[in-house]
Amino acid sequence: MEFLNSISGYALGLLGAGIAAFMAGIGSAKGTGIAGEAGAGLVSEDPSKFGKAMILQVIPGTQGLYGFVIWFLAYSKLAAVGDAVTVAQGMQVLAACLPIGFGGLLSGIAQGKVAAASINILAKKPDDWSKGMILCITVEFYAILSLLASFMMLNAIAL
Amino acid sequence: MAILQMKRLRLMILRSKKEALLQELTKRGCVQLTELDEEARELLRPAGSELMALKSEQAAYEKALALLGRYAPAKSPLLSAKPELPENSFLEKEGEESLALARKIADADERIRHIAAEESRRRGVIESLQPWLALDLPLETAGTERAALVFGTLPLKGGLAPAEQALAEAVEEAELFPVSQDKKEQYVLLLCTKEYLPAAQEALRGQGFNAVSFGGLTGTAKEAELRECKALEELAAEKAALAEEIKSEAGHRDELKLACDRLNTRVGMAEAEEHLAESDSVIFLEGWMPAEKEEELAGLFAAYDCAWECEDPSEEEYAQVPVKLRNNKFSNALNMVTDMYSLPAYGSVDANPIMAPFFILFYGLMMADMGYGLIMIAAALVAMKKIKPRGGTLAFCQLLLYGGISTFIMGALTGGFFGNAPEIIAGMFGSSWKGLPHLFSPVEDSNMVLYGAMVLGVLHLNTGMAVSFVQKCRKGDVAGALFEEGSQWIILVGGVMLALQMLVFKTNGTLHTVGLAVLIAGAVLLLFGSTRGAKGIGKLTAPFGCIYNTLTGWFGDILSYSRIMALMLAGGVVAQVFNTIAAMPSKNGVTIASGIAFILIFLIGHALNFALNLLGCFVHDLRLQCLEFFGKFYQDGGKPFEPMKVRTKYINPEE
Repeated sequence: MEFLNSISGYALGLLGAGIAAFMAGIGSAKGTGIAGEAGAGLVSEDPSKFGKAMILQVIPGTQGLYGFVIWFLAYSKLAAVGDAVTVAQGMQVLAACLPIGFGGLLSGIAQGKVAAASINILAKKPDDWSKGMILCITVEFYAILSLLASFMMLNAIAL
Repeated sequence: MAILQMKRLRLMILRSKKEALLQELTKRGCVQLTELDEEARELLRPAGSELMALKSEQAAYEKALALLGRYAPAKSPLLSAKPELPENSFLEKEGEESLALARKIADADERIRHIAAEESRRRGVIESLQPWLALDLPLETAGTERAALVFGTLPLKGGLAPAEQALAEAVEEAELFPVSQDKKEQYVLLLCTKEYLPAAQEALRGQGFNAVSFGGLTGTAKEAELRECKALEELAAEKAALAEEIKSEAGHRDELKLACDRLNTRVGMAEAEEHLAESDSVIFLEGWMPAEKEEELAGLFAAYDCAWECEDPSEEEYAQVPVKLRNNKFSNALNMVTDMYSLPAYGSVDANPIMAPFFILFYGLMMADMGYGLIMIAAALVAMKKIKPRGGTLAFCQLLLYGGISTFIMGALTGGFFGNAPEIIAGMFGSSWKGLPHLFSPVEDSNMVLYGAMVLGVLHLNTGMAVSFVQKCRKGDVAGALFEEGSQWIILVGGVMLALQMLVFKTNGTLHTVGLAVLIAGAVLLLFGSTRGAKGIGKLTAPFGCIYNTLTGWFGDILSYSRIMALMLAGGVVAQVFNTIAAMPSKNGVTIASGIAFILIFLIGHALNFALNLLGCFVHDLRLQCLEFFGKFYQDGGKPFEPMKVRTKYINPEE
């Protein structure tokens, strides 16, 4: 306890906010990266498909956004109180930030793989590319659930 | 509003009248030809068609149009309707001139590609001449009467000395002359007497010497380079002329489009003709037509002196009957959903009219924002007015319109207008106004929304069960309907009674007893029902399977409707966060810069959130319909009705 006190609740809370932003960010970065590589391969063959390839590439970008949303909420909540945040409160914020951190990280990568595979659809059956988009959105739901879990927990914490 | 009734058509016509009849049928677009049955095939021979030839012609037009698009892109407004022409104009034969034109464009492109290959070859030659430019010796020089001359390269490493030494050791009368060098190699001339040439080359090979040949180039390197450059210029000029030639045909674009669509239609007719059978004097055809068209077609067949008959399909034939749905304006929007999933089997129920209100309600609940709703309504109306969509695109626009209306209404109920934008904007100007009034808010009343979503789910699922109940009764399987759907309803009634007693009245003992009794009665009925179809040991195991399936099925299905609440909440939260971030620069009063920042962040953020929700809500609504709802009653596997008709890509037939 002594140790935690020396760190301060504020710092623990900030750690949580940071986790939400950077882990979800990594997820999106990897996801858009995987999809982007596949997209670049296709565009080198057929530049006219750039627009559609880009849409598929940005789909795994939302996890980072969700992480950022939670970071923003947590940070503004913590900053309003500053050093007066207790260790217990700091830990609560940290816990509330975990769902979108992990959910965003893993769903972003998974969605990136689906997006890359959907770019194959775009290459081989261009008329059916929107179906690839639908396959991607299925993965999105779990990022949304993670966002909601984090959001509702954050909302319930009184600072 | 239903699946159209189909009839099987058998028809015989004189060969001479075949072409005219097929054209009439194509124009009416209401007969789908099928393979003949065994019996007929033994008596008649298959009638050939010009399918392959027509397909290659059509490909030529497609290619010419694609090339015109590349060399002379047409400037067309972003949203524009396809031009329209009377149906008859698609049935006319195409003239020779437009085919010749299409082939000419393709040939010109072929020549351009050929030139491009030639150009890159010549550029390679120029590249290879660079090291020898300093040499004023004709490239074809092979030596004199007694001396041999060889052009070659040596690795740069170590300079010329090791090679010279190796050469001197091997033969006496030989010498290397350096010409030039680049980053990797040095370029040299080897001069020696003819009889020593093999020995000299052998000695140098150890030093990495490679002889260079110029493949028939003559004159000095400089002269050769000049010649190549000149040839390149000529090729470039020819290429430009050819491109100009293609461009000059851009005026015939519409002509080619019409030709292409005519061919499209004729390919469709030829594909149908493949199904025909013939004898020396008559043509025999078999197919499906909607029963409602019988009268109209009877007149046509009489006019062409056909011998024909038509009959309702038997129950066994249902699997082969093609399915066409007839929908009104409202349920037509849902065609997109059934098409994406699978058409209903012939003889089952068209789900569109039942699904439509639920689909549109759920969509509105998930999106729930007045601002987003208005954008959807506007986009749908503009698209309908400008591009005059048909078929699938029309269904999409209608769905967007109804979804938008529903989204707007739900947004009004939850007080959402681009999230909480009114409140935030008022706050920027120092007002403490609490935002638009609302009946309930997804953030504050999330529990209520969650329970509401599940209640809607129960309603939705029960509607599906009711459809299944009616369907079973109609087929005469009343017992099945009672044991499966009926027993579940009894359990539901008992469950509701128990829940009421526990949550609302709390003390009423009678209701508890009655509810429990009803529930148990329902469960017994369900269990008994599950053993009906089972045999032997199955009679014992079936009830366990039934309990498991019913319990997990219902739990899973109903919990699945929580996604309505999740999406409603998520869309609202993300919108709110963007609004808050956008308003941050204006914390200490609104300036021009902070105003611009607000508008920028607001636009980007909401564009993102809108696009994501538009798609996300559709996908999750689709899932609720196709998985949970359809699971209760839907029989899929219908094959779409594909009649011979005017098929077009670039021009619409007039309606």
